[in-house]
Amino acid sequence: MKLTPSVLELDLSEIEKRIRRFIKKYVENSGADGIVLGLSGGIDSSTTAALSSLSIGGDQVLGLMLPEKETYNPKDIDDAKLVAEKFGLKTQICDITPVLENFYKTIPIFDQADKLCKGNIKARTRMIYIYYYANKLNRIVCGSSDKSETMMGYFTKWGDVAADISPIMDLYKTQARKLAAHLGLPAELAAKPSTPALWPNQLAETELGIKYETLDLILYGLERFMTTEEIALQLNIENTLVKKVKNRWLSAEHKRRMLLTAKLEYRTIGTDFRLPQNAY
Amino acid sequence: MKEKIKLAFAQISSKRENKKENLQKIEECIIKAKEQAADLVIFPELSLTGYVVRDQIYELAETIPGSATKKIEGIARKTGMHVIFGMPELSEKTKATIFNTAVFIGPKGFIGKYRKMYLPTHSVFEEKRYFRPGYQTVAFNTALGNIGLCICYDLFFPEVCRLTRLKGAQLIVSISASPSVRRSFFEILTAARALENTAFLAYVNLVGVEEGLQFWGGSRLVSPTGDVLAKAKYDEEDFVTCEVDYNDIRPTETFIPTLRDLRPELFDELKKYSELL
Repeated sequence: MKLTPSVLELDLSEIEKRIRRFIKKYVENSGADGIVLGLSGGIDSSTTAALSSLSIGGDQVLGLMLPEKETYNPKDIDDAKLVAEKFGLKTQICDITPVLENFYKTIPIFDQADKLCKGNIKARTRMIYIYYYANKLNRIVCGSSDKSETMMGYFTKWGDVAADISPIMDLYKTQARKLAAHLGLPAELAAKPSTPALWPNQLAETELGIKYETLDLILYGLERFMTTEEIALQLNIENTLVKKVKNRWLSAEHKRRMLLTAKLEYRTIGTDFRLPQNAY
Repeated sequence: MKEKIKLAFAQISSKRENKKENLQKIEECIIKAKEQAADLVIFPELSLTGYVVRDQIYELAETIPGSATKKIEGIARKTGMHVIFGMPELSEKTKATIFNTAVFIGPKGFIGKYRKMYLPTHSVFEEKRYFRPGYQTVAFNTALGNIGLCICYDLFFPEVCRLTRLKGAQLIVSISASPSVRRSFFEILTAARALENTAFLAYVNLVGVEEGLQFWGGSRLVSPTGDVLAKAKYDEEDFVTCEVDYNDIRPTETFIPTLRDLRPELFDELKKYSELL
């Protein structure tokens, strides 16, 4: 197999149709009155918002904008509003700063300098807001994680990835960008650098230490059981970089799976309790 | 035996775990097929229960005969129709093992059944976890001609269709629950199995979304020369009728004599080398 950018090309019309059917069917079967999602103004949430609106109608989709003062960027709010307007979804802005500050104040061991632990509070607080709206409005939560970030474990456990469905999780970042353009999202937005907005000026590619164009090809190769040596050779990069990506992918499995328990009984949750989901 | 028969493809989505609702839909389709003067109506794999039912299969499986087959026998008798559908079959003998089975029922009652031989257990599929494989290919001599049965993944293994053909099948029916990512494989294989056996092949696939899987439909009748004679819509429920003219088989076998040229000794080789993989 040749690892060139063409392997990531998709029939975007077909992909759009499949995702829209998936969302529509899930919402129908769940008996929910619609969808709530976090709308950050980034590429993934904008794409997911657009797909949700196209699937069930914008009236049934609520995009929550959840800014906080440290990472506040008016451009993100503008972009989110632009997407909402274009695809006809409803929006609500909730400033989560006061809640965050109370968290910081009331945690005895809180460490202001620990950006990651602090940032994770932000992601989990956003999740609480989103789920509150979902509960209150009898809706489901639609996640917007992509495959690149999910494979890399580049998300907050029980935070930004917490959702009932995650319609673009089988698309790598570069594929999600192409889908965004296909759906008619502005080119500028589709090319916008990704950020989890956990601290100021945080950029996904800088933190991951690799461009998505390369990362996605490495992950594509790993998905298809290629060796790290083969991937490195084909992409003309250091094997140490490919190995680093592979190790990060494997070590983050705990963030992607149902929590493990000790096998003690006849059928066990998360292992051999295999039940259908969303059938009723 | 009729030289020409009319088939109806009931390309349905099943309500998972809801046999009552699915039987209702099956009944409606049989009546519709009758109204459209079809002789045989074909439903997808596991159409009685839906495909992604996981551990619930233990509750859903039924013996044959059992309440589902009796119900369909009653409808077939009343309408004078032949029906092929898929269900999880609980072994009458052991009351413990389950098979992924295609059931063939006619106006006079139960004709026969086929237990899926090749159970996909890879990628998103986990059939071997639940089902015991079948051990016999089948071809039934009926008022509608000699009809062989297979199920979905069996199409990847030419020997299943080949054996039904060697047992006399002129029409091979493949019921299926194939998800979208595999559409291109089945579009090739259905044509190949018909062509290499110079037989008609009726492929009836499920539609609908079951968890993350989307079944692509695209049910079709393939001629002995590999041409698609009739095709249902992709991804949506559909109901298509089409005609099988058995007279087309003989001139095809003259033009592409795959049965005349069959080399039995290669099958011994095949056995030997497949054991040495």
